[in-house]
Amino acid sequence: MTLVAAAPSTIVRPEVDESTALDKPWIVLVWNDPINLMSYVTFVFQKLFGYSLEKATELMLDVHEKGKAVVSSGNREKAEMDVYRLHEHGLWATMQKDGDD
Amino acid sequence: MARRRPPFEARRNGYAINLDEEERHFVRRLVGEVRELLTSLPAGDPKMGRLFPPAYTNASGQDADAEAEYQRLMRDELVASRLDSIGRIDELLADTAMTALTAEQLNAFVVSLNAVRLILGTILGITDEDDDEDPDSPLANEMAMYNYLSWLLDSAVTALMQG
Repeated sequence: MTLVAAAPSTIVRPEVDESTALDKPWIVLVWNDPINLMSYVTFVFQKLFGYSLEKATELMLDVHEKGKAVVSSGNREKAEMDVYRLHEHGLWATMQKDGDD
Repeated sequence: MARRRPPFEARRNGYAINLDEEERHFVRRLVGEVRELLTSLPAGDPKMGRLFPPAYTNASGQDADAEAEYQRLMRDELVASRLDSIGRIDELLADTAMTALTAEQLNAFVVSLNAVRLILGTILGITDEDDDEDPDSPLANEMAMYNYLSWLLDSAVTALMQG
């Protein structure tokens, strides 16, 4: 990459696109539900995200005991794909901007 | 009563399936019913609520547009993916001589069995994780089916995690 200083008068200040430059990542949450089996939820976390058994079990227990857990994060496209794959497996998953309630 | 073998077991080259003819028939019937529901019920039917949850935490607030877009683009994908899994296990179970499964086939089983449980659990109104069987309940049969499916699913998942 070459940096050439332009004369200040010719600089067109790029508009900051708030959805990218200052973007907070999206997080994917899995919510507790009374139907899905604990073993199944652990299995799905391992299968979809490649987590170790320990990590997947820890997340499953968070879902079970605290009501929800953040299972992945990233840009909007990745989060949406993760949500889709979790829905495909029957888990109750939603996405939101990190920091949103 | 003799302790029966687990319905699914990890083997060196895949997975054994230990379901007798009656059990195979029963599972085929259940997944067939799910196929019917998937292809006939309207999008908003509450029975299917658990199979098509909202994608955005704030689905009725700030992310309402994104939610609508997700449902528009992904709902048919979700239906197609489930019908595909169901079609595969139906085909496998129709073969009464089939005694072994690949990981991919057992995965299709797991996803379909879970879809059946989600619908049955919704119909039963399962809200408590420690729901016991009440033999006098008008839904006692459905509850017994649900518990049987839970046992099958747990066995399949356990086998996959060992394999």
